Amino acid sequence: MTCDSVAQLIPLYFYGELMPEEEDRLEEHLHGCAGCTREMERQRAMAAALDRRHVEVPPAFLEACRADLAAAIEGGAPRFEKPAKGPWTLFLEALAGTLRGFNRYRTPVGAVALVALGFFAARFTGAGLPASSISPAGEVFSTVRSVQPDSTGHVQIAFDETRRRVVSGATGDRDIQRLLLAAAREDNPAVRVESVDLLRSGADSGEVRDALLNAVARDPNAGVRLKALDGLKPLAGDPQVRKTLAQVLLADDNPAVRMQVVDLLVSHRDDATVGVFQNLVQKEDNSYVRLKCEKALKDMNASIGTF
Amino acid sequence: MGTQIDSLIRAAQRGDQDAFEQLVRAHDQNVLRLAMNLLRSPDDARDVYQEAFLRVYRNLDSFRFDCSFHTWLYRIVTNICLDQLRKRKVRKEESAVVETSGGPVDRMETFEEEAAHANPERTLWNRELKQRIETALQDLTPRERMVFELRHYQGMRLRNIGETLGTTEEAAKNCLFRATQKMRAVLGDCV
Repeated sequence: MTCDSVAQLIPLYFYGELMPEEEDRLEEHLHGCAGCTREMERQRAMAAALDRRHVEVPPAFLEACRADLAAAIEGGAPRFEKPAKGPWTLFLEALAGTLRGFNRYRTPVGAVALVALGFFAARFTGAGLPASSISPAGEVFSTVRSVQPDSTGHVQIAFDETRRRVVSGATGDRDIQRLLLAAAREDNPAVRVESVDLLRSGADSGEVRDALLNAVARDPNAGVRLKALDGLKPLAGDPQVRKTLAQVLLADDNPAVRMQVVDLLVSHRDDATVGVFQNLVQKEDNSYVRLKCEKALKDMNASIGTF
Repeated sequence: MGTQIDSLIRAAQRGDQDAFEQLVRAHDQNVLRLAMNLLRSPDDARDVYQEAFLRVYRNLDSFRFDCSFHTWLYRIVTNICLDQLRKRKVRKEESAVVETSGGPVDRMETFEEEAAHANPERTLWNRELKQRIETALQDLTPRERMVFELRHYQGMRLRNIGETLGTTEEAAKNCLFRATQKMRAVLGDCV
């Protein structure tokens, strides 16, 4: 074996990845070669230095991740990914889901979504289709509103139609954002999680910020609330955001959410949160959240109790 | 252990939530450690954890025991981590340093400090060496970094690493060799 070929094999030798006969030959070379022995020592020293970089996972952090996962699953993560469906099936399902959502948030969200749908219909359909080509069947879902025969033997039929449109665009696009805002209040938690996640990039807009705050404070699904909290990270210094976070910290029943709220609140020094942390420490039953609050109070040179 | 895991998988495939939870708990610590070491960001590691196990949850039905569950799970985890590393390469490495009221804090150091209490040897940590190691690791391609992480820190055999990453043992060997050479070049006489 030459010194060059040994140099190639040293890392593999160190990690025990050589065949036994290769190992024997390399050891024989090392025995008689001071230069390669030094190289071997350098490999060992480098590995030892890298070992010190290794971090272990604190148990509380692992528990927090488990709580996130449980919340996401309880919150409606689909059990198994479904096989691909045809566009018609998807359309019907989407339509059914959309209408369910609109029933609940008929007034504000319906208006926004319909405006947005109208916008996209106009934008992506192009010039209006000739009347004869409009078909209430196929991919168009229609509701006939009136039927009026006239004296010439023709008939005039008025109907509302809803089309499924697939639109794509940057998440920062104003119209995409409006659709996402509507979707963030859908009944389906999986849709809400995705939408809130995507809205994160637009948190500097007042509308998005309000939607994220609304999700953090009111969404029944912890997975959605956690995503919304992620989106609020850049706004952790905003007084309105902090006020809502303080309320959530004292009211939310999910420890993973409370932990994330504490992280957000401590990321900006603010003496107004001292009282909130002191209050929480007194009643918090999750030891990790309590420890986090105690640490935050200590960092702020505040006492743990309210006395 | 293998038989026990197989039973858990079958039960979870039938919809047994407790079995799924046990399956997660049997593997999640290593998954989180892998993500933390690779990404050096607790937030990103948390995202990887959640995404990986949600994918397992959604796709467990399609697991056909063609390979070990460990390999299947690590395919998912390494794919997510590689995506994250590639994104970072594009937007340049993201620092784990965050601004706090008390000045800049390396969030990963807080984890290392926790470990330091348990192991006084860590207090001898050489900052310059640490900085050089970070630079050396950042110079690796995502794939080299992954192979190195799996071999050095996770103790996986190169054959399994190849299987997990969808490549050959030989390619994994070459990756490991390149990674160690690059790191030795950057670390220089520090070690």
